[in-house]
Amino acid sequence: MRKIITVFFWFVAAVTVSSITQWSWERALMWPGIANAQEDWKNEFEHVCSKTQDAMALSADQLRNLVARCDKLKPQIEKLDETQRKVYLKRLQLCRDLLFFVLESKEKK
Amino acid sequence: MKRIFCVVLLLFMFIGVVSAQNIAKKKRPLPYEYGEVIINNYSEKAGLAPVVFDHWLHRAKYTCRLCHVDIGFAMKAGVTAIKASDNIRGYYCGACHNGKTAADNKRIFDSCSQTIGPEEKTMCLRCHSLGKNITPEHDFNRVTANFPKGRFGNGIDWEKAEAEGLIKPIDFLEGISIKRQPLSIQKDFALEAKIEGMPDIIFSHKKHTVWNGCELCHPEIFAGVKKGTAKYSMSEIFEGKYCGVCHTSVAFPLIDCQRCHSKPVQ
Repeated sequence: MRKIITVFFWFVAAVTVSSITQWSWERALMWPGIANAQEDWKNEFEHVCSKTQDAMALSADQLRNLVARCDKLKPQIEKLDETQRKVYLKRLQLCRDLLFFVLESKEKK
Repeated sequence: MKRIFCVVLLLFMFIGVVSAQNIAKKKRPLPYEYGEVIINNYSEKAGLAPVVFDHWLHRAKYTCRLCHVDIGFAMKAGVTAIKASDNIRGYYCGACHNGKTAADNKRIFDSCSQTIGPEEKTMCLRCHSLGKNITPEHDFNRVTANFPKGRFGNGIDWEKAEAEGLIKPIDFLEGISIKRQPLSIQKDFALEAKIEGMPDIIFSHKKHTVWNGCELCHPEIFAGVKKGTAKYSMSEIFEGKYCGVCHTSVAFPLIDCQRCHSKPVQ
């Protein structure tokens, strides 16, 4: 009985999530897992791209590390739904390009 | 021989008149039209008029960086390919136009709706307004009446308007922007003009970074790593490259020479 109630609530939650976020059924049913994964990539994105303002003050090694983290993030963002993919790939590109640009300028000095 | 000469002369005169007419046809946009962007990736296909985006209104309230970096709008019209579903989900226009975010103590209207009834259709017209006789909520002349005047473009000196506290562009949007360290102040520098007698350019890195951040210009617009190694020609700039990305469309136009070529000639 408890199992049935759990499944029922899971189903209701999936319907709600699906209607709010316009996700597919399969995606909405895996919602809790996705939510965690989403937090992970977003935290990493925010952490890496918060450094653009003071990129000039970072060392070449720090910049290389941040560029590598951007490259690692890209495949994760590519798995997101269409809108998020479009927005965050563009934002990641801007961030990665700047970090790489500063790294290049430091290496050429 | 004389005949051939006359015919060639007439031909040149004819070409001159035709090209002069073509030049005259390119009318300069009116102050409220300067920076206007028409967005029509999906509008007409969905039975709506194309969107008319007023840069002047948005730049008075938000920094360029907020929209073109944090929200992710491309720098070229139509490239972002914004969909109604993107706005409904709170991205692009929907980042602010969500019926919840406020500006000037007023809720910003919702951008797109899943259901379009007669009431929503009127709402759609606030943005999907090309060719429609819509009275805008924010009248250009009324809003900018007290702003310091500029010579070209919107006819407003936006930089001065900010310095005088008449505009305070927002640079952070909760839930969208990333919390960052404040940007260290960049030094202004001079760029040598190519023509003798032409004043050198004083490039205000500070002013540009305050509104644009770093990643909006580097490396996409300015890829040169070392100062002085990249050469920028005015013809390329007039074609919309380098400074021309913004200074042909939104920021004060290139015909306002003295705004950049400002270093006194020795």
